[in-house]
Amino acid sequence: MAVFTVPEVDYTRYSNRQLAAVPIFILFISLSVIGGWYLMTGSPVIQGIAFTGGTEIQIAATGPQNAVETEIRQAFDAEPESIRSVPAQDVYIVTFQSDVGSVDAATLESQAEAAGLTVRSISSVSASFGTSTQALALGGLAVAFVGMSLLVFAMFRVFVPSIAVVISAFSDIMIAVAFMNIFGIELSLGTVAALLMIIGYSVDSDILLNNHILRRSGEFYSSTYRAMRTGITMTLTSIIAMSVMAVVATLFGIQLLASIGTVLVFGLLADLMNTYLLNLSLLRWYKFEGVSR
Amino acid sequence: MISIRSNWRVILLVVFVLISTFALFSPTLTDRSATAEVITEQSGVTNLQYGLQLSGGTRIRAPLDGYTASGIELGSDARTGDIEREVAEQIQGADPTDVIVRRTAQTTATVEVTAANMTVDEVQDGLAAAGFEPDGIREGVTETTREEVVRILQNKVNEAGLSGGTVQQVSTATGDNFILIEVPNEDSTAVRELVSDRGTVVVEARYQPDGSPNYTRDIVLQQEDFQSIGTAQERDSGRPFVPVTVTETSAPQFQQSMVETGLARPGGTRCTYETNPNNTDPCLLLVVNGEVTNAFGMSPNLANSLRRGEWAQESVFQLQTTNISEAQQVAINLRAGALPARLDFSGDDGGTTSFISPSQGVDFRVNSLIAGIIAVLAVSVVVFVRYRDVRVAAPMIVTALSEVFLLLGFAAGIGYPLDLSVIAGFIAVIGTGVDDLIIIADEVLAEGGASSQRVFKSRFRRAFWVIGVAAATTVIAMSPLAILSLGDLQGFAIFTILGVLIGVIITRPAYGDILQLLTTGNH
Repeated sequence: MAVFTVPEVDYTRYSNRQLAAVPIFILFISLSVIGGWYLMTGSPVIQGIAFTGGTEIQIAATGPQNAVETEIRQAFDAEPESIRSVPAQDVYIVTFQSDVGSVDAATLESQAEAAGLTVRSISSVSASFGTSTQALALGGLAVAFVGMSLLVFAMFRVFVPSIAVVISAFSDIMIAVAFMNIFGIELSLGTVAALLMIIGYSVDSDILLNNHILRRSGEFYSSTYRAMRTGITMTLTSIIAMSVMAVVATLFGIQLLASIGTVLVFGLLADLMNTYLLNLSLLRWYKFEGVSR
Repeated sequence: MISIRSNWRVILLVVFVLISTFALFSPTLTDRSATAEVITEQSGVTNLQYGLQLSGGTRIRAPLDGYTASGIELGSDARTGDIEREVAEQIQGADPTDVIVRRTAQTTATVEVTAANMTVDEVQDGLAAAGFEPDGIREGVTETTREEVVRILQNKVNEAGLSGGTVQQVSTATGDNFILIEVPNEDSTAVRELVSDRGTVVVEARYQPDGSPNYTRDIVLQQEDFQSIGTAQERDSGRPFVPVTVTETSAPQFQQSMVETGLARPGGTRCTYETNPNNTDPCLLLVVNGEVTNAFGMSPNLANSLRRGEWAQESVFQLQTTNISEAQQVAINLRAGALPARLDFSGDDGGTTSFISPSQGVDFRVNSLIAGIIAVLAVSVVVFVRYRDVRVAAPMIVTALSEVFLLLGFAAGIGYPLDLSVIAGFIAVIGTGVDDLIIIADEVLAEGGASSQRVFKSRFRRAFWVIGVAAATTVIAMSPLAILSLGDLQGFAIFTILGVLIGVIITRPAYGDILQLLTTGNH
């Protein structure tokens, strides 16, 4: 049977600057990716139809993929924005952006039926409704982040450890968003849910670390090791569960669960790094140098 | 001996699991009230209800078309009906049913214009031409109108026999209002056809007044003139019709106008409106949504009864249509009433439509269950490998699953329909749940386990501090989304918050007790 123990890292070999350099560098890269994306596309993320408006149709069809895709393209007057296939179920997901000659769901549905395609589901979102959903999602994310920050400050009542938690959570979200852009994952309601979950997970492991180091007796490195043993177990368990869910959901074509799973894996990996490099180096600085000032 | 006092947390968990089991499986709960019943279809074995994404059906979300002018001054004795007519005359393309005047105080009122494809300027000019100076004009209609639309649409959905359909009002974060219609097991075309028309039905008389060569059209019966609406049916000759009864107050008036217009002439009238409209006897026109759908004359019997003044006592009348489905449509519209404003599907402020086929819904249901079970199995494997002790890992998995079980029980109990966003909430709950249980396990088992009740208590309290803060964070993070009635993320937020609360208050503390009991056995 495989043995799973959390290795003890010898942090004394690295300076705070060395520890913090890696996560800060990666945060910088992520922010550049998001910023560059904004400059190139006018939006910091790839937005799904829930936010831009548009129509998504799921069509059930059997046969070779190329033939089916040609058939789908021929069925509609408007040019689909994308056609994706869900291999396990012979389902094709076709999306249309709303600005393409203002195609409405009813027309697309009748065109699909006229061409003899089986429509499994159709959903359309108008552009302004999308904008309002976007405001809701971004507002929700912002309120969640601010609420979390206030609570963390209220709980620890010291600046450096609190800001460490907040920066880690911020970085986790940004790295996850950058990964979404790189892997072409759209911002959808599912991924917004995932980003909200990242706030929760991130705070979980950071608070655990802070709590062990600040509120418990014991030497710094042994407290750190105890916190890491619990924290890394937690995060790895979640990463494995979410990867498995992402793979299974992708096979079944349940996009919502697949995107939640994938984005959480990115966020949790970022959290491992941020908690035990960035947050830890800030705490060590605070414990050994910051307090005595 | 296992004492109740030191194991009350476990007992509490068991009690809640039993309540949940009852809510999920008890057949006594399936006969629930009509309101819960109409939300969604029920599943087989459990009392769980599934939302559209998991059962199939159509969801339409659209704003109402119209403008509201507020702060209109009008005399305290002015009749709103007259003003509606005056304003409608001044606006191109609007008729009196497109204008609604509602008094807000003794001498002020709001005027809503709900004709299609209007601009603010047209409404402004029309009101000015009718002599009104509004304080302001905004897009949208009043709350009262929205409520009326919801009531009428719900009637329409019920009348059309779309079982389980619901209609409600929702509002966005930015203050826009939408009407949300959800109908299980029905495709979007059928639902849109039903709800997109205003559903106005009027009967007009078309005649030549006093020997003039030109035809005039007068409204002789409106929706509110009907007392009862019969079932659409077909005569033996195959002519479909809807039997109606005219109200006592409107009947004499109708009788009189039939005689005056010459429709009720001796020997009846033969209408040739369709084939030869410029040379026909007077006709009755059935006008649905502003369009003439049928024209018919009058039988000699009815004409005589009207002339003798006997008809008004019975006041039974037949609205004739060209085919049976039209007759059904007319009956639905008459019974449900006419919408004061139209749903706006067009333009950039239009809403959303989605349709999910029932087979897709069932696939989603089964597949997300499989995905969830596989994810839980993955967690179990990791936990077993990490602790290498069944007594630690098994209760952990069971506790995490019990949280989802309690949530499912809660959903069944209040009849909350499950959809994909709720399932995402379950995932979030299992995720944070397992995290918290690992924290508790590590804390309680540190240095070979808690040797005494006192040590256990203090360790438990320390673990609980972290769990409590993390839970509070999650609750704060999710609450904005849980409150807004619109977002598709509402179910996710509500169930994540609930799950975290159930977790922190009931299940996760119980795990601490179970662990203590199993690893030391000194309770």
